[in-house]
Amino acid sequence: MDSDEEDYVFFGKPIEREEEITNRRKKAAAEASGNLRSLPPWKQEVRDEEGRRRFHGAFTGGFSAGYFNTVGTKEGWAPQSFTSSRKNRAEVKQQSIFNFLDEDEKTELESQNLGTSSQFDTFGFTAAEYARKQANKEQKQRPSAIPGPVPDELILPASESIGVKLLLKMGWRRGRAIKDLHASSLYDARREARKAFLAFASEDTKASHPTDFEPVEGEPENFLAQPADDDAQSSQSLPVFVINPKQDLHGLGYDPFKHAPEFREKKRSRLSNDKQHGYRKAISIKDSLFGSKSGKAASGFGIGALEEFDAEDEDIYAAGYDFEETVIEEDEEPSRLSVESKKKAVRKDQGVLRGFKVATVSDYQLERFDPPIIPKDFVPHHKFPGPLETLKKLDVPSPPEVPPPDDNNLKLLIEGVATLVARCGKLFEDLSRKKNQSNPLFSFLSGGNGHDYYDRKLWEEHQKRGDQAKLSLDGKLSPSVQKMTAENRGKLLGEKPLERSSRETTSSSVASGDFVQLQFNLSDTFKKPESFNELPEVAKPFKDDPAKQERFEQFLKEKYEGGLRSMGSSAASNMSEAARAHERLDFEAAAEAIEKGKRGKESLISEQPFDFLATGMQFTSGVQEQVKDTHAENLMTKKMYPRREEFQWRPLPVLCKRFDLIDPFMGKPPPAPRMRSKIDSLLFMPDYVKGAKLEEDLVTNRDVPVAQTDAQKTIEDVAGKEIEVAAENVERPVDLYKAIFSDDSDEDVEDINTKKVEDQEKKIEVATTTLNRLIAGDFLESLGKELGLEVPPDMPYSTNNVSTPTQKETPNGENAILSPLEGRTFCAPKSVSGTSLNPGQETAQDGELAKNESIPGRSVRYSSKYPDGLSENISGKVNMEKIAQEDKKGKSSSRHQRNWSSSSSSEDERSRKQSRRHRYRSSDSYSDSASDHHDRYRSRSKGRRKKSSREKSSSSRKHSKHHKHRNRDSPSRSHQVSEREHSEARKEKRIRRD
Amino acid sequence: MSVKELPRKEANVLNGHEGAVLAARFNSDGNYCLSCGKDRTIRLWNPHRGIHIKTYKAHGREVRDVHVTPDNSKLCSCGGDRQIFFWDVSTGRVIRKFRGHDGEVNAVKFNEYASVVVSAGYDRSLRAWDCRSHSTEPIQIIDSFLDTVMSVCLTKTEIIGGSVDGTVRTFDIRIGREISDDLGQPVNCISMSNDGNCILASCLDSTLRLLDRSTGELLQEYKGHTCKSYKMDCCLTNNDAHVIGGSEDGSIFFWDLVDASVVSKFRAHSSVG
Repeated sequence: MDSDEEDYVFFGKPIEREEEITNRRKKAAAEASGNLRSLPPWKQEVRDEEGRRRFHGAFTGGFSAGYFNTVGTKEGWAPQSFTSSRKNRAEVKQQSIFNFLDEDEKTELESQNLGTSSQFDTFGFTAAEYARKQANKEQKQRPSAIPGPVPDELILPASESIGVKLLLKMGWRRGRAIKDLHASSLYDARREARKAFLAFASEDTKASHPTDFEPVEGEPENFLAQPADDDAQSSQSLPVFVINPKQDLHGLGYDPFKHAPEFREKKRSRLSNDKQHGYRKAISIKDSLFGSKSGKAASGFGIGALEEFDAEDEDIYAAGYDFEETVIEEDEEPSRLSVESKKKAVRKDQGVLRGFKVATVSDYQLERFDPPIIPKDFVPHHKFPGPLETLKKLDVPSPPEVPPPDDNNLKLLIEGVATLVARCGKLFEDLSRKKNQSNPLFSFLSGGNGHDYYDRKLWEEHQKRGDQAKLSLDGKLSPSVQKMTAENRGKLLGEKPLERSSRETTSSSVASGDFVQLQFNLSDTFKKPESFNELPEVAKPFKDDPAKQERFEQFLKEKYEGGLRSMGSSAASNMSEAARAHERLDFEAAAEAIEKGKRGKESLISEQPFDFLATGMQFTSGVQEQVKDTHAENLMTKKMYPRREEFQWRPLPVLCKRFDLIDPFMGKPPPAPRMRSKIDSLLFMPDYVKGAKLEEDLVTNRDVPVAQTDAQKTIEDVAGKEIEVAAENVERPVDLYKAIFSDDSDEDVEDINTKKVEDQEKKIEVATTTLNRLIAGDFLESLGKELGLEVPPDMPYSTNNVSTPTQKETPNGENAILSPLEGRTFCAPKSVSGTSLNPGQETAQDGELAKNESIPGRSVRYSSKYPDGLSENISGKVNMEKIAQEDKKGKSSSRHQRNWSSSSSSEDERSRKQSRRHRYRSSDSYSDSASDHHDRYRSRSKGRRKKSSREKSSSSRKHSKHHKHRNRDSPSRSHQVSEREHSEARKEKRIRRD
Repeated sequence: MSVKELPRKEANVLNGHEGAVLAARFNSDGNYCLSCGKDRTIRLWNPHRGIHIKTYKAHGREVRDVHVTPDNSKLCSCGGDRQIFFWDVSTGRVIRKFRGHDGEVNAVKFNEYASVVVSAGYDRSLRAWDCRSHSTEPIQIIDSFLDTVMSVCLTKTEIIGGSVDGTVRTFDIRIGREISDDLGQPVNCISMSNDGNCILASCLDSTLRLLDRSTGELLQEYKGHTCKSYKMDCCLTNNDAHVIGGSEDGSIFFWDLVDASVVSKFRAHSSVG
């Protein structure tokens, strides 16, 4: 460093850094005072020249105000007290501002400030200041109305600026335009008189007023006289500001003529008249009242602060108290001419509204814009594209009445199609025509048999719809909802009218026996309507048995063609019920395989799609051996997955805080556990039905199919969120539900497998008893909940009472429609639930076992196609109504499969999830959105809930150990595809890290 | 990064673990890496120079995952002892232990501000732990998974978990929604693309699946490796051009992101297991 510095040569005096300078100064000051040497800066005290401590508080690094932080002094503090006696009279103490001022403030107040001398006071500042001081002094001497110092604005400089002086010297007179040289003698005389008057007047206030500005205290006549005569002429170039004296009794700034200027004119003229008559008349109160009436009171008056705003009050304060200048505008540019003409107008043109005058020159040309030219062919009526066209078509002359075709089926079909076409528009007709080109049944669409009848029907339907649309305009329900009756729907769906139950369907309550019958009928009646035109030649799995093959083809035809299932067509009338059932299973399996293979071919990857059919496949109904077509499975999984679902999830506030996010549920109370209504439980039971007990059953008779149809999917979709958040079903004894809901599928299969439905009466009986038990159970449960008791968990479930039909009350219209479907879809095996899926404990061996056991289940799964016809129908319909949105791509051939798979798997998933969700909810009890019925659960403490559910879950987990693999590979697993992988998954769970 | 620039050669071998290494993670700037394994230790390395820097010992059983805060000051780790350890990197002390998982903890991650640790456990739950307070209770338990949660990813606003139940579930804190993408196959490991739009899920059917996060669509599948019973990590390259995944035979696979072709593969380890 030193050597460095030596290398440089410095010129001049180095600029010291500022801090150094200040430091030095401080130091110097400290040395001067001599006592701060050793003190750190925060202990130093700032003192004034008399050695008193200044800058109390924060300045000294601590708060010490006053005398030891008090208002007292060393001598103590006593308030000034009033004492007065006869001898010693208390004198009135005159307090002045100086009593309260500090010394430096006093000096400041009294100091002689430097200012411009009046000689050079160009702008009159000093004079104004001087005048203000004078006025202040004066103020002190005599009391005035306004206490305190006079505002600057009221005081005007007494002396004139140098410019004015110069002008005056050059002969300019006040009030005159600078260039105006002709001053009439009359004007001058008046001028002088006014000046004298002014001078006289201003002597009072000791502030003279230059005439440029009319004084406040100026003569009242100014109001009218000034603009009218003297100044009017003189101040052409100088604007004259008139400050009107307040002479009326209105509020400050209030102009009664604001909205009625005509009255102002009137008043003025009267005033001038009065003046002419030589006496001043006070403004009549009546007049002012009248005036105030015509004017608008300041908005906002008359409305209480607490009054609620109405729609029309909304802009109450918008205008605010915007007092407008009350200076009369005409006075700004007064001219004699105009005044005269005004006077004339007042006198002569009585017809003209006061305040207005007849324009002499109308230079204002009104610009007109013509309205747009409407084309001649414009009809002022909006046309809606699409289905509503049908309304327009009403004008179409009606086709002649045609007797319906003899074939009742055809008639039904035609009517159904006509209804649909009427509803969905012409497009549907085209579509179905194209689709069913080859189908002779639909020839009526393209002008074949029954075309006339179709036309007529279509017209009728249009007519009907038109009426309904009109009705709906009156605020009724939407026509489609109104219109749909069970019969209509049946027609649409191609349902065969049921002989027995047709009359019962109209009544809401169906006898239990009939109900069972009805469901059977339904399941037999509905088929998948999709066309499966090209049945591949290769697909002949039953070559060895031509009769069987024939039946199989028949079956396929029925299966994929849709429409009515021909009851008598199954030629195997000689076969036993059980044999037929077996065969049917075979057929289902075979059809499934064929379809899979077909899809494989479509996707161009499969090498020999039907190989397995020709070689390895044996469709026997016992323990089915099946060659795994992994490829097809892959394809299926590809189509099934990934599947996206969305749920509500409630992040806790702390988490949101930690993530620095706003709690989406902020302010919402944690939702109480939801009270499930009985209807919910009835409707959506299968989602929650679960439990280990069922698995036993499933193992014993494992040919239980999964009857998962779109119908349920639809229901769920319709039910939407409700299902998602519905809860509280685990406590319910499972066997009840099992008994109620599982029966259909079970019984279906059993029927197919072994038994006949001969024990009808028994079933009915069981159904009614279960219903009773259900109600009783529900009641018990809710009672228990209210008492804060845990309803006993699942009873051991006996397999014997599996097959009980459903007796179900349909709670509302919508569900009434769907109820038969629900009945079918409610099947227990779906209840492969997540609760029992313990991630632990499973071993690879389990997986192996699972693999083995899954095989029998596989074939059974196919039998779940029975309801497919139904589901397809429904989904088709529902698709139209935009509820179900599976499968938008709509490959007709793969659609069936897709629908099935997605629905079933999603169902499975859903059920698992729901059960899980339920647990989740019950343990956390916040994940739910606010629900409506929870009051009954309020009494239960959350903690208790948590604990109990936890216990439950743990117990169920324990329990499920035994049933683990069965659980997993119960035949109802809809995606056995992933069965193997799941076993691997289980293997994986024990992921070895070594 | 072109195909040629993909790593193929072994740069360094970090010897020191006694037993299997279960996870290796870079720190936030890539200068150091952490490994953890069956020997119940976490080790801090300088992989570029091949130096072992520090050993963190406290776990009672194997350590399955480790993660570093963005400022490299803290660590969190989890493992078979059902605990999550919150470490101070420099001193090597455990700041906090979070207990509460009912099973082994498979994965652990810090959030953006290192204020929360989210762990994925064998007990089918994701748990969020607060690093700021002194509470050792989880601030949130997400137990909508049906099976073991294998992997967890965090974004600024979301928690994403991949589970053996075949789902990748996204928990969006902002809107309070859970979005579940069911892949149908047990999900082993999930990894976010660098642009945050996609998620790569390693499934146990020896397939990596690339999902679009906004729609849940399956964008691509990457096959060729074996992944059937072990947890194999997978990720995307920094420019999202390639997908990297491990195979059970000890090799590393590189796929092209778009056409899913194996662009490179090499044998990195003798074998797994």
